[in-house]
Amino acid sequence: MAKSKRQLAMVMDLNKCIGCQTCTIACKRLWTRDEGMEYQWWNSVNTMPGRGTPRDWEDMGGGFREGKAKPGRMPTTKDFGEAWNFNYDEVFRGGKGDKVHLKIEGDQPDWGPNWDEDQGAGEYPNSYYFYLPRICNHCTHPACLEACPRKAILKREEDGIVLIDEDRCRGYRFCMEACPYKKIYFNHAERVAQKCIFCFPRIEQGVANACARMCPGRDAPIWKLVDKWKVAIPLHPEYGTDPNVFYVPPIAPPRFDEEGNIDESKPRIPDEYLVSLFGPKVLDVLVVLKGEMTKTRAGGKSELMDLLIAYRWKDMFGGFDRDPATIEWIKA
Amino acid sequence: MEASYLSGADVGSLLDPGGAAWRGARSERIALMGTPVGLQPTEAIRAKWIDKKIGAIGAVSVAALHDGTRLAFRLEWEDTSESREISDTTAFPDAAAVALPSAEGSPIMTMGAVGAAVNAWYWRADEEGQGRQVVAEGLGTSRGVEGKLVHAQGLWKEGRWSVVISRDLEIATDEPVAQLTPGQRTGFGVTVWEGSGGERAGIKAFSGDWIELVLQPLPTARG
Repeated sequence: MAKSKRQLAMVMDLNKCIGCQTCTIACKRLWTRDEGMEYQWWNSVNTMPGRGTPRDWEDMGGGFREGKAKPGRMPTTKDFGEAWNFNYDEVFRGGKGDKVHLKIEGDQPDWGPNWDEDQGAGEYPNSYYFYLPRICNHCTHPACLEACPRKAILKREEDGIVLIDEDRCRGYRFCMEACPYKKIYFNHAERVAQKCIFCFPRIEQGVANACARMCPGRDAPIWKLVDKWKVAIPLHPEYGTDPNVFYVPPIAPPRFDEEGNIDESKPRIPDEYLVSLFGPKVLDVLVVLKGEMTKTRAGGKSELMDLLIAYRWKDMFGGFDRDPATIEWIKA
Repeated sequence: MEASYLSGADVGSLLDPGGAAWRGARSERIALMGTPVGLQPTEAIRAKWIDKKIGAIGAVSVAALHDGTRLAFRLEWEDTSESREISDTTAFPDAAAVALPSAEGSPIMTMGAVGAAVNAWYWRADEEGQGRQVVAEGLGTSRGVEGKLVHAQGLWKEGRWSVVISRDLEIATDEPVAQLTPGQRTGFGVTVWEGSGGERAGIKAFSGDWIELVLQPLPTARG
């Protein structure tokens, strides 16, 4: 496969993500409102540790191990979580608002895209959790693209964005089995596979992705975090697809010991859990982050901390900082 | 196998798998085999199917008729599960196709070659009534032919599919499709996908090399 000449990337700072789902809704409103897309969340935010969306996606295989394709399992519709219908009419317009509660109509679900929100792990007072936003990783070595027998998936040479050609797609769903991040959805109305498009129509106009632009947490310039400071690393690098979404790993507040005193002898979020998500490099990242935090606490200056704080909002978008309101958007 | 010429009142039910047109049609039983896993076009598919049986349907009964304008195949096979709807991400529809050579010497085993296309007419259970046509010039190269030119209809009853796939003998297109005339001697192949087993794309049962097909000539016009 030809290598892209340029690769767009994104950094998500897990120390700043507050799980507000603004990115999720920004994406939903922009891209997945049509029939057959009701259950699709190209951007999702889950609480970790957790089973995620689709349910238990980390145990479904796919991707590559030692350079060889690893068979992947297909998530079921229930694993993704179906779009629920609520009794809005009854509650809001039926005159029974003081008697009936809002509830899901029909079969009661046992899973959804954010089902285990804020459950996390650990025992009080040392329980822990953090939020993990996920989009398509627009991988350098995309398992979806390589799995498709119809060559219906392409990686754009000019920016590395991975797209599904819906005219070529016949809904065979080998891509859904092969993607180890399980970020491809099946449209039951159009009978094609669909996924995050990295907001390419916005990118082409110099406008940042809707998820990034709407984020109240402010992520920082990518290359400085990934290449210079090396504090942003991919999720599950062992899947072998070389993702282009990078994460600044989370540091939780300190633990308490049995007497209720602050205990900094070990971290609240176990290192081994973070290693299971981000690989052994995460330990080096934590050392750098903590070192720079200590420096600023002592009154010193830190370029890294300034970057992560992102004083200048527009600096975060790598030049894709045009105001979307200045463009007249037309739906094809 | 011969595609018999049919005329008269029964022509009206040619597209209906349960129609009168097919009542006297002679069926031929054709054995099917699974496609070799090594021929699957991507590594992910090969890795997934290496230890699984490919080609759940072992045989299909085929009959063919033409009315001078249109050629129709009726495929029948045993299938205990009727897979019509894609009710879940894990569900796949039953499907079948007839392949014809677009040129003399088009290789069926590789779904054609450059300049020697294979033309396939498809039926898929979730696209009832609407057939589909593709041309391919090698594995993984298939492209759709525009226009609703193929009619396909399936009827599942008591553990048996009966599917009619048809198209006009000749059609106007720039694509390298099979152009047919009564009296012509050509070949055909059949493919069946068992949806409940996750069969789709190259995961299928097929009839192997071309099977001879003769289109019965039109009766000579009298005086």
